[in-house]
Amino acid sequence: MTMTADVYDRRQDRRPWQKRLADASEPYLYSAPALILIIVVMLVPLVVGISYAFRDIQLLNPFSGGFIGLEHFETLSKDKAFYVALKNTLWWTGASVFLQFTFGLILALLLDKPFVGRGLVQALVFLPWAVPSFLAGLNWAWLFNPVIGPIPHWLFDLGLMSQPGNILSDPQYAMWGPIIANVWWGIPFFAITLLAALQSIPRDLYEAASIDGASWFQRFWSITLPFLAPTIAITVLLRTVWISNFADLIVVMTGGGPADRTQIVASYIFTQAFKALDFGYASAIALVLLVLLLAYSMLIILLRQTLLNKG
Amino acid sequence: MASIDIQNVKKAYGHVQVLHDIDLQIRDGEFVVLVGPSGCGKSTLLRMIAGLEGVTGGEMRIDGKRVNELHPKDRDIAMVFQSYALYPHMNVAGNMSYSLKLRKIAKEKIAAAVASAASKLGLDPLLDRRPKALSGGQRQRVAMGRAIVRQPKAFLFDEPLSNLDARLREQMRAEIKKMHGDLKATSIYVTHDQIEAMTLADRIVAMHGGVVQQVGAPLELYDRPANLFVAGFIGSPGMNFLEATYSGGSVTLKDGTVVALPVPLALADGAKVTVGIRPEHVVMGGEGTGMAASVDLVEPTGFGIILHLSLHGLAFKVFTLDRAALSAGPNVHVSFPAQHLHVFDEKGDRCAVASA
Repeated sequence: MTMTADVYDRRQDRRPWQKRLADASEPYLYSAPALILIIVVMLVPLVVGISYAFRDIQLLNPFSGGFIGLEHFETLSKDKAFYVALKNTLWWTGASVFLQFTFGLILALLLDKPFVGRGLVQALVFLPWAVPSFLAGLNWAWLFNPVIGPIPHWLFDLGLMSQPGNILSDPQYAMWGPIIANVWWGIPFFAITLLAALQSIPRDLYEAASIDGASWFQRFWSITLPFLAPTIAITVLLRTVWISNFADLIVVMTGGGPADRTQIVASYIFTQAFKALDFGYASAIALVLLVLLLAYSMLIILLRQTLLNKG
Repeated sequence: MASIDIQNVKKAYGHVQVLHDIDLQIRDGEFVVLVGPSGCGKSTLLRMIAGLEGVTGGEMRIDGKRVNELHPKDRDIAMVFQSYALYPHMNVAGNMSYSLKLRKIAKEKIAAAVASAASKLGLDPLLDRRPKALSGGQRQRVAMGRAIVRQPKAFLFDEPLSNLDARLREQMRAEIKKMHGDLKATSIYVTHDQIEAMTLADRIVAMHGGVVQQVGAPLELYDRPANLFVAGFIGSPGMNFLEATYSGGSVTLKDGTVVALPVPLALADGAKVTVGIRPEHVVMGGEGTGMAASVDLVEPTGFGIILHLSLHGLAFKVFTLDRAALSAGPNVHVSFPAQHLHVFDEKGDRCAVASA
């Protein structure tokens, strides 16, 4: 019945063609603003950036710009500095995420308990997050500088340093400078999210557990952790991707030095693009980093799915 | 199982005193219900017995041992929460066995204890379900199961049935009573529902404003309420109150009706009193008997009929099983049998019978 009615309608469609065109394009017009915005802001730069990876683009060479295929990737596969940066990235990301998470969790647990002036302390604790990363980097670089900063002198007085030197220029320990700055800067992120998760745990669960005979640690283990697990999984995933991409502190504090000891992939990209002005090569490295991080994310999502299905 | 002794216990938050000198002796195996309106301090008292709230003053003893400073985990009591407080990440068996695992009891014994509690509560088919996959009534059972596997010194119930629908509440009420009959466990039960209090309790503790108003068997509270608060709180629909004056063994109501009391009271003539009568004790009669009142509202409950009357401008309730009341006209006549009158003095306390 409806079929015949439809056919009948179509035959009888006497609308002017402008009207028909307008009706047909209506849904596209409605969604156009959002789609255009996404394409212009996200997809175009992504495609252009990826295309650079296959072209020879050097700012100082007016004859560059041609398509060179996979040449950048061949160079990259033999680039020792890249492998060093890859290893440094693992270290930088692992240490930063681990320390940020550990201290963030401790801080969240402390802030979860009521005490006088908690509101003020909470506000203060979250302050580092509001400091621009470049400013944080400069600040910590100065703190580590024996000429103006106190830290080397304290370490010397404690006997941890043979002389008040700059940790940032010590090939063995230089990476700890940006890591410490990063931990200071990133703790609030974990503290905020974990505190929010902590506060959503019903209090009477803890009461029931303590009546059941659970000690503080047993309550933490069988109530707090299971409740926090989803938040922990998602924040650690986010922060891992974020930190491995996060070159600001390294660029400001060490510039990747001494002797590439603090060079991570992200700062190596920055160095290639804005110091060597080789945009093509920098894009190729960025593409590799993108693929690595996508693979990592997929892995975590798969892991999460399996855990969820099991749970 | 154990007795619980509460001596002069006080509780204050800062300057706000919420419990005043509570004195209560709970015998081994007794089922005591703390009842009162919200904010009367009954839950606070229960939480103090559990150790979840500190004791500001006085002494609390479980089985003769002072527990004021004892951590909840060392008091060997079990509690059923209003929200059930089941561990969402553990299945039913895990919830029930958690406390035993913490006590490092042998696996076989735990399994046996869980199995026996589960069969008592009809939870066998649900043992590997998570709490979120259970209905409200099932969760309630798990919470009870978690308490009984422990074989604790005492059971504490904090409004355990408030989150259930009426039918389930009635059913669980009967089950709790039956379980108490089987286990003979010392139990303290907090509720604001006076029906729960009446049906479950060996003794009821009626509380108001952080003060114990009356302690006694359910029918004692019903038949001989110690003061206006208990009289008004116990019983549904609630007791009617009328202003009156006492003189020479009878009370005179405002409209001049005189009701001779069965026994003289220890009151001076002319004393102002409040007379209370339960809606089910009011007698309705025809023209010329008792006082005239107008009918505001008729509520048939199926079992009986509640008539909302206006007696000299005062709201007044009558409960009757007589269906003829449904067709009562706009005006009825009520009278008060003297043996069912409760007389309270100006302070609101029950008037003592004059000694002969």
